Formats: sequence, C-alpha cells, structure tokens
Amino acid sequence: MTADMFLGVATGIPWTLAVTAAAFVLGAALGLPLCAMRLSNVALLRVIALVYIILFRSVPPLLWVFVFFFGLGSGYLPISAFEGVVLGLGLITAANMAEIYRGALSAIHAGQWEASEALALPSYSTYLDIIAPQLLRVSLPSSASYAVGLLKDSAIASTIGVTDISFNANYIAKSTYQGLPVFAIAALFYIMISLPVAALARAADQKLRARVAL
Amino acid sequence: MMNLNPDTLKLPQRELAGQADKPILRLEAIRKVYGKHVVLDDLNLTLRSGEVVAIIGPSGSGKSTLLRCINMLGPATSGRVVVGDLAIDESIPPTAQQLTSLRRSVGMVFQSFNLFPHMSVLRNVSLPQERVLGRSRKDADKRSRELLARVGLAEKADQYPARCSGGQQQRIAIARALALDPQIMLFDEPTSALDPELGLEVLLVMQELARSGMTMLVVTHEMNFAETVSDRVIIMADGKIIEEGPSKEVMRDPQTDRAKRFLKAVKDR
Ligand SMILES: Nc1ncnc2c1ncn2[C@@H]1O[C@H](COP(=O)(O)OP(=O)(O)O)[C@@H](O)[C@H]1O
Ligand SMILES: [Mg+2]
Repeated sequence: MTADMFLGVATGIPWTLAVTAAAFVLGAALGLPLCAMRLSNVALLRVIALVYIILFRSVPPLLWVFVFFFGLGSGYLPISAFEGVVLGLGLITAANMAEIYRGALSAIHAGQWEASEALALPSYSTYLDIIAPQLLRVSLPSSASYAVGLLKDSAIASTIGVTDISFNANYIAKSTYQGLPVFAIAALFYIMISLPVAALARAADQKLRARVAL
Repeated sequence: MMNLNPDTLKLPQRELAGQADKPILRLEAIRKVYGKHVVLDDLNLTLRSGEVVAIIGPSGSGKSTLLRCINMLGPATSGRVVVGDLAIDESIPPTAQQLTSLRRSVGMVFQSFNLFPHMSVLRNVSLPQERVLGRSRKDADKRSRELLARVGLAEKADQYPARCSGGQQQRIAIARALALDPQIMLFDEPTSALDPELGLEVLLVMQELARSGMTMLVVTHEMNFAETVSDRVIIMADGKIIEEGPSKEVMRDPQTDRAKRFLKAVKDR
C-alpha cells in the first residue's frame, strides 16, 4: 500500500459525498409532496403516488441510473453522469422517504391537526409550521439509516464514470494490479463517512427527544 | 393547601349590564348521527354574551360531539349554528371564509392541551396570531407575553411545552386560544387529564376569565365549578338536554329522575 494509492482513492470522496447529499436532499424534499399525494382524498393523486412508489422501489437503482443517463441522456435531454445518478437515486429516495414520512405521520397525535384546525390556521401553515417539522423530527432515525444505505448505493455512480471513491479504487486497482489493499482503503473511507453520520443522527435524535419529548 | 370548595370560588356578581340579553351563540336543531346511532338529537341552545354555561352529563352523552359541532371540527348531520352575524348550516360544506371566521370567533381548549411540542411556549401563542390575524412577530409576541402573564406563566415563554406541567400546559393552551381574540371559548373537560392541584390552577384561570366577561361553554366533571362559577348548568344524556337552568337550582334540586340519578352517582363517587 502506498500513499499514492491512498490519495488516489481519497480524491473520490467529494464526489461520493456530493452524489449522496444531492440525491438525499432531492428525495427528502420530493418525498413530502409525494407522501401528501399518497394520502390525498383525490383518488387520481393517490394512484399516481402509488404507481410512482412501486415503480421506483421495485426496479434496481442501477437500472434507474442507466435509464436516466443512457436513456434520457443520449438524445432527449443531455445530462452529465453526475446529474444522471443524482436524478436516478434522488427519485428512488423520494419514493422511500414518502413511505418513511407516511409511517412517521401516524406518530403525530390527531390533536395536532385538531388544534391547527380549531385555531383557523391556513392549511399551508398547518403543513409547514406544525406537521412537517414534527414529521422530519419523528422520521430522523429512519432517514439517517436510509442515508447511510444511500451512501453505499452512490457507488453506482462509478459505473457511468463519476469519479467517486469506487471509481477511483477500481481504476487504481486495475492499473497497479493490487486490488486487495486498494479496495480495503475504499471500504475504510465508506466506513469513516457512515459512522459519523449515524452518530450525528443519534445525537440529534436524543437532543430533540429531550427538548420536545416527541 | 388550596381547596376547590364553593367558597373559594365564590364570585362577585359579574357585570353583564347592557348586553345580558344579547344572544351570542345559538344552536338550532343540532342533530348528529353516526350510521344508525343518534349522538345529538335535535339539540337547541342559546348563550347570551358574557354567560358561562357548564355542560355536565355521563360519558358518551354527546358533550364533546356538541362542542365539535359548534366550531365544525366535526360538523353535525343537520342543524344551524349562529355566532354573532355568522349563520352556518351544518349540513352543507361551509366556505373557507365562513370556517375561518367561525373559528376566529370561537376558541377551543382541549382535554389533551394539544400544544405544538416543537415550538417554544411563546411561539405556540404567537404563531396563530401571525398566520391567522396577520400580526407582525413583534406585535404577536407582545400580546402573547401579556396573555402568558395573565395565566401566570410569563416566565415560561422561552421553555418548550414538555418542560411544563400539565396544568401549565393547559393554561398556555388557554392563552393560545385567547390570542385570537375570540368572542366565545369552548372547553372540553379541560381538567380531566390533570391531578387535582394542577386542575385547580386551570380552574382559577377559567374563573378569572369568566369574571372578565368572556362567554364560555364548559364541558366539565368539576361539580364545584359548575355550581359556583357558571351561570347556568346543562345536563346532557343520550344526545339530549335533560335539564337546564340556573346553576344552583339544577345542581341542588334537579327535576328529572335521570338528572337526579346522574348527580347522585357523581356525588357518591
Ligand atoms: N367518530 C365516531 N364514530 C362513531 N361514533 C362516535 C364517534 N365519535 C363519538 N361517537 C359516539 O358518540 C357518542 C358521544 O360521544 P362524545 O361526544 O365523545 O361523548 P361525551 O363527550 O359526552 O363523553 C358516544 O356514544 C360515542 O361512542
Ligand atoms: Mg368527551
């Protein structure tokens, strides 16, 4: 193992982080309206949301990324490899986050909706001021473990040429014929990123739990 | 040790001069049905401005359902609710404007407080003022602090609700409802989730509110409150008003057998 190997793999870290963070933010945001549609009184919206969720959860992430990058990317809508993978993973994340939010919603006391109604809060305020913050808070543990899973899935980016940790490891392994140490370094980086994410989420969860008892 | 006996709650005669006969809330033929089960059976009720009315009655008699019809949290199957100039037919969906105007006029306090747990006490009271009345943050906070002081909780403004006792939480909920300047306050068993001492501090706030001239409709298990703070007592059973009149008369000398049995059962408990 050489310092070159180490540094070579390390240059992929920003890309791995960028893919994971961008896909997660996209999915966490889109998941909210998707969850609202899933629970809507309007049957059409419910069906659309349901089909979306089934579609994005049952087809492997790799396939979706190929669809966006090679399918859309070649011709229809020229997008970069980074955009392709963020779009693919982000839309899958939206489907999963919508289901996480839906589960968390049942933990929110019916009295929160009733108080909002009785106080004449407009519905935008009920969703944004009252329900969404509690929803994000209740779903924090599940979201964090999903984010760690997403970090690992982000390696799919390497298959379409995003120079992330996995891409660099693969490249260096092939050029040095020393697969084992190189991939060990890559594994170490993934662990070093996911451990703090999990720890941070746990700490935030405990802090919020102590403060708002929810 | 404070004790909620009739003497500590005895009030000076409240000033109702000039508006004592003006109806502020009228319920006309309120009927509510779940499937075949008639929960409210053509109920009529009028509240005059400044009046405090207690509703008592066995569990399941439709008391909560009635309050929820008034602010349309759970609209009745048929009937009319008239609040001031606003008349609402419960059987048809109200316009958004009617609903907002109804709920601004009618404040509600729940048995389970229902404070927003992720906001400070001050935000709990200020947010509805900003979103519903369009007050600025500064004006809303000023009003909130006044109201928190009024319910004896000025020092809790920056705490989270979870840091407050149940009695304090309920007083905050009262302040939150008052912040929208309602004409009528509905209370649904505001002290039932509380230990007696904590319930007492809530009852004292309600007594002060009654004395200040607020029109109040209070579903309660507190017989002392019904007898000594309210002007009128209504006894409900099976979705009907079975007895109604000046508090002392109803509480001490009920006319119907059903009311006698209910009051005896409560007093023997
Ligand atoms: N959502 C509902 N569906 C069916 N029945 C209900 C519902 N809510 C209340 N009820 C029934 O209505 C009756 C009155 O309930 P409620 O108003 O809560 O009584 P109270 O507040 O006097 O204890 C009860 O018999 C109850 O079972
Ligand atoms: Mg009830």
